[in-house]
Amino acid sequence: MRLRPNLLIGGTLLGLVFAMAGTALVWTPHDPVRTNLRRRLVAPSRDYWLGTDEFGRDVASRLMEGAVTSLSVAASTVVVALVLGVAIGLAGGFLRGWTDRILGAVNDTLLAFPGILLALGLLAVLGPSRWGIVLALGLAYAPSVARVVRGSVLSIREREFVEASRALGNSERYTLLRHVLPHTAAPVIVLATSLFGWIILSESALSFLGLGVPPPAATWGNMLASARPFMDKAPLLSIAPGVMIATCLLGVNLLGDVLRDLLDPRDEA
Amino acid sequence: MPGACGCSAEVLSYVLKRLLVALPTLLLVAGSVFFLMRLIPGDPAIVVLGDAATPEAVADLRIAYGLDRPVLVQFALWIERALGGDLGRSITSGEAVGPLILQRFQVTAAIVFASVGLAVLIAVPLGMIAAWKQNSWGDVAAVAGATFLLSIPSFWLGLIFLLVFGLWLGWVPVVGYVTFAEDFWGALHYIVLPVATLALIETGVLIRMARASTVEVLRLDYVAHARAKGVPEWRVLARHVFPNAFAPTLTLIGLIMGSLLGGIAVIETVFTLPGLGRLLVEAIFARDYPVIQGVMLFIAVIYVVVNLVVDLLYPVFDPRVTAG
Amino acid sequence: MRLRASILAITASLALSMAAPAGAQDALRIRLNADIRSTDPGVNRDANTDGLMWHVLEGLVALRADATIAPMLAERVDVSADGLTYTFPLRRDVRFHNGQPLTAADVAFAMERYRKRETNWRCRGDFDSDVTRLTAVETPDPHTVVMRLEQPSALFLTMLARPDCGQAGIFHRDSLNADGSWRAPVGTGPFRLGEWRRGQFVELERFAAYAALAGEPDGLAGNKTPMVDRVRFTIIPDDAASRAALLAGNIDVLPDARTRDLPDLRARPGMSVHSSPSFDLQIILMQTNDPVLRDVRMRRAMALALDVPELVRAVTEGSSRPSRAPIPVGSGFHTPAMSVVPPRDLAAARRLAQEAGYRGQPIRIVTTRRYEAFYEIAVLAQDMLRDAGINLELEVIEWATQLQRYTRGDYQMMAFGFSARLDPSLSFEMFTGPKATQPRKAWDNPEMQALLEASMRETDPARRRSTFEAMFRQLMEDVPVVALYSSVTHAVTPAHVQGYRTWAVDAPRAWGVRVQR
Repeated sequence: MRLRPNLLIGGTLLGLVFAMAGTALVWTPHDPVRTNLRRRLVAPSRDYWLGTDEFGRDVASRLMEGAVTSLSVAASTVVVALVLGVAIGLAGGFLRGWTDRILGAVNDTLLAFPGILLALGLLAVLGPSRWGIVLALGLAYAPSVARVVRGSVLSIREREFVEASRALGNSERYTLLRHVLPHTAAPVIVLATSLFGWIILSESALSFLGLGVPPPAATWGNMLASARPFMDKAPLLSIAPGVMIATCLLGVNLLGDVLRDLLDPRDEA
Repeated sequence: MPGACGCSAEVLSYVLKRLLVALPTLLLVAGSVFFLMRLIPGDPAIVVLGDAATPEAVADLRIAYGLDRPVLVQFALWIERALGGDLGRSITSGEAVGPLILQRFQVTAAIVFASVGLAVLIAVPLGMIAAWKQNSWGDVAAVAGATFLLSIPSFWLGLIFLLVFGLWLGWVPVVGYVTFAEDFWGALHYIVLPVATLALIETGVLIRMARASTVEVLRLDYVAHARAKGVPEWRVLARHVFPNAFAPTLTLIGLIMGSLLGGIAVIETVFTLPGLGRLLVEAIFARDYPVIQGVMLFIAVIYVVVNLVVDLLYPVFDPRVTAG
Repeated sequence: MRLRASILAITASLALSMAAPAGAQDALRIRLNADIRSTDPGVNRDANTDGLMWHVLEGLVALRADATIAPMLAERVDVSADGLTYTFPLRRDVRFHNGQPLTAADVAFAMERYRKRETNWRCRGDFDSDVTRLTAVETPDPHTVVMRLEQPSALFLTMLARPDCGQAGIFHRDSLNADGSWRAPVGTGPFRLGEWRRGQFVELERFAAYAALAGEPDGLAGNKTPMVDRVRFTIIPDDAASRAALLAGNIDVLPDARTRDLPDLRARPGMSVHSSPSFDLQIILMQTNDPVLRDVRMRRAMALALDVPELVRAVTEGSSRPSRAPIPVGSGFHTPAMSVVPPRDLAAARRLAQEAGYRGQPIRIVTTRRYEAFYEIAVLAQDMLRDAGINLELEVIEWATQLQRYTRGDYQMMAFGFSARLDPSLSFEMFTGPKATQPRKAWDNPEMQALLEASMRETDPARRRSTFEAMFRQLMEDVPVVALYSSVTHAVTPAHVQGYRTWAVDAPRAWGVRVQR
């Protein structure tokens, strides 16, 4: 019963965001980067649907551009986090012993690091860049993935088909990849959707603190940060990107719920 | 992991073992921070001197800050002093790092505990009721509301609250902080918005969690059994459902606290609160090495302690748990 | 009998309760946008720290509002004919906050501490350089101090008066702990240090026995009579919050209002706005060693492609005057020739770029979000240069990293700002020098270097002025930098605050200010 409204709403919201991003790839009402000093902080009009920001740039166009950036950064980061996390979790959970202990220590260390420090460190060394953010956030979230994967592997490895595979004489690695990995897929996929949401949030938070994808690229977090001094004069500048982030997150969360119900109806956490 | 026995000797040895195992992690964290910071371009001497940084002045200042020595030596010195309780002095303000961290932590802790506490008080009962009346309109509304709440970026919500209640309506002051010891009602004023902001979002997370684990427990055999025996519903809830459902929620609370310490920096920036998160962020921007190192070590210790406490409390709520 | 006693008691308590508020009302609350760093003069400081410390400490000489030097703790300054000996007869009426009279021994004690390496006094190197070398500080009698230089220097007194070096403020030896470390400032200024509640406020208390000079307040010199009992510097980091605090009556002076808030604040009843051009400088630096920017034609093209008046108008919302000269508009050494800003010429810019062999490759300009103005300068420059076919790419990094790259000269272009330089030689010196030993310097020109050093030794203002004009002309030819503007300080005070004035250095002065509630 709960499936359908969630799917509908979540799908619509996320679809909207993706549609914005898709459109932005080929067209935006105005150039999102071009400044226009004569049109600073203009109110919404037919020409500038959401008004302009402190540099005279069209807010609507930047919002759309922001969708592309935020989504692509989040997607890449999820991939990085998954690859790293699954690798660490699989290795630790399956091989156990010293490998597990060492990996566990590394994992815990990464987990104890506030994302800010990691982000600043990597960005300062690599130079401000999209890839720096992806790497920093990927590293920050990989431990959560590793934990889930490890837990999953631990519970699976004693199951019959694993024993059977070993009995057949298959190598550890083969067993690992062919039998164990697919069964960790379900919780990992569910986690991936949550990750997507968290990363969008983290990227905006980092941008807010001044560490995100470097301007003049438009990201929602950047827009929020720049809007702060103008909160009372032009509140729309703060409201618009925030609404976008919330919309995107809501869509991701709702769809994540649907996925969870489909893949793992027993585990509703 | 000691079982429901609760024998103090077992518990004590477990705690000690856990703490001992945590030491290498702490060392790893401290070391990584130390070396990472020195890899990053820009050092405290340059930040202090600004645009008047002549090479000689920079060199002199670096010597004064002890930065001219090899990194390993600096690390060894820092460890030695840290073990004796001396975390050095802030390069920015000259204050002793240890007391500074504790002072700032009080602010952060007040906000974190207040918001989590508020959220738990609201969310856990709501979540359990929703699970009890699963699939009713109330349940759907609760889940929808919770999902909506946790989708809002906390710092954005904070900004909006600040705008509406602080600047437009003027109900609360826009900036400042005073400790509860000094002025209880004043402190309440300053803390209300950040706590409300965080609590709202955490409520969303916790409602879903509480609901989910309650649903799971309600399905269990012994609950059906108790019902079949004719035990009154409220007793079923209180005696059997609540304690078991709470356990996973407890884990989540532990995780939330941990992640909050990292994410709190943004809230503290929005509301300009003298908390630990903002201290760390500003120290990073100012390259205030002693403060960064001290705060990181502190956070790592907190993280270990919180996890330990959660793990210890788990069997109190769920006697089935025996494997750690 | 009982009635009289109770009437007396009531009257006494009424009087007491009225006295306390009256004292509390006679406090001037000024906003501080961040906590001060320390009270050790010129050692661990920033602009806020300087602006507070000049209330507590004074030096032998002090800056006037027009950046010339006036005697402060010295009665006058006698310079020998060869320019090597400076004699400072001390005033007899000066006392420290602890009641002790000022003597030559105190001056020698303070100067010795400043010159010690371990103190890490910011200006130590400036008094031990090829241009200015202080060789001796002597005390021939208890009321005279003599300082000797190795060679004549036009900068010597300015250096002594520099606020960012604590004005070489004379402190009593009680300011130090037994082991020689800094305790708290015991100075001669109109206020003494009161309570410092970190992160919240710093309080200063009126020094009743302050020996003020006659006349009017003038910069950091002149008559600095304190007219309020207490000054509380309230720390409010957020701009919007500070504005709200002013309007709510929680602070009495907003010393650094944003230009965009002025129309609104001016409209409020009773509010006054005080504005002064500062002596800082916002500027675009260029790396003349860079393969693309090495060609002077390329640099000239960039300067011509910029619409400097428009850029300055946009960034400062019309409050600053554009200026291509590094000597601030408010300085006595800023001549009419220096106010000339060449108009934008896109055709010439395109032609020059082409001649220099520019083929449209991206040129990176480094900037930061920490200082809004730097960021805006870079964004606008990028936009304007695009019109001439010059392709700028923004590299936005955080402040500490930018400082590092600035210090190393590791950039192609950089949007930057220099803090106030109070002597015109220093205005040039801040970006002029040999790159081999000082990679941060943008203008490496041996001829100009010689002129610069000459200006530092020459004490005649007219001759210095013509030297600076010659340097300015060459600057416009070489274009190693594009100077843009000096910012304007705006302070806002409500009706009950009288006598507050802004001046060339962007920090408040609490003396001569009355509060009338």
